[in-house]
Amino acid sequence: MKFFCFIVFFALANVWALRAQTNAPAEPHLTQIDSDSVDFDMNTNARTATYIGHVRVDDPQMKLTCAWLLANLPQDGGHISHIVAETNVVIDFTDDKGQTNHATSDKAVYNYNVQGAVTNETVTLTGNAKTENAQAILTGEPIIWNRVNGSLTATNEHTIFRQNLDSATTKTNSTTTSTNKLSAPK
Amino acid sequence: MKIKGAQKILIAGAVLFFTAVPNERAQQNGVQHASDFTSVEYFEPPHATQMKSRLSGLEAQPLANGLLVIKQLKLETFTVDGKPEMVVEAPSCTYDTSKAMASSPGPLQVWTGDGKFHVEGEGFLWRQTNSFLTISNNVHSVIENAPENKIEP
Repeated sequence: MKFFCFIVFFALANVWALRAQTNAPAEPHLTQIDSDSVDFDMNTNARTATYIGHVRVDDPQMKLTCAWLLANLPQDGGHISHIVAETNVVIDFTDDKGQTNHATSDKAVYNYNVQGAVTNETVTLTGNAKTENAQAILTGEPIIWNRVNGSLTATNEHTIFRQNLDSATTKTNSTTTSTNKLSAPK
Repeated sequence: MKIKGAQKILIAGAVLFFTAVPNERAQQNGVQHASDFTSVEYFEPPHATQMKSRLSGLEAQPLANGLLVIKQLKLETFTVDGKPEMVVEAPSCTYDTSKAMASSPGPLQVWTGDGKFHVEGEGFLWRQTNSFLTISNNVHSVIENAPENKIEP
């Protein structure tokens, strides 16, 4: 898979990385999942919850909507290790700079595991996968979001950088304002 | 998040009615009417003094064809070391003793004993034989995620 480092989008996923870097004691957070219906299968070793219809996930780090979501329920209060969201997947999240980011795909797969001292946590978007923010739009198949280091990798990626006229205007105005202040008599 | 105990929820409810100690009784097809009842089930030895589940309800009314209507169902399950595992509440449900299924068009609430998972909704079906619970409308789940600690030393 062709490796693609997309700096602009690194910030998208840095919420988690930033949180990992803080020395403040971490507090538990609440995740809410709403849907039309749900099936809990407790019979198999891999116990699952399948949410169906108008699925909405509201988490402090993101909001996700889709039509179908399957989560493997963890054993003994552990971490959820595998989630599959399908059909009209939309993920919105805000990065550490307060920038809104928007991802869409037909399918999103979340995987979490710890091997030794290494935590692996990824979200793989497939099927018309696209992520975008104010700076750029990234498409690829698949797009893999590494939540541990905040990197995005994509195969067959296509990036469109937005022309940020607002920033340029702001800088010009700021400079002008500053100049006026300096020259203005008190 | 512990959902494992849910395997026993509604099922245990109906099963335990057969051994409940009701305040009033009415015999019908081997199933007794009970009101304001509580029934306790214990673990097998060597943990026979530990409570496995506690079922309470306002009323249990046997119907024809092996059906049992339970009002104000509350089922609590416990681990072998006495910790609360699961709490289930339903204002009303019907248990089919022949098919081992419990269902209701009304609301259902389930909590794990550690309080880290809660789900509620309206309309449910519990199939005992394959430990399958369906909540069919207006599902709302709340999961308390433990803080993640990715700080490398």
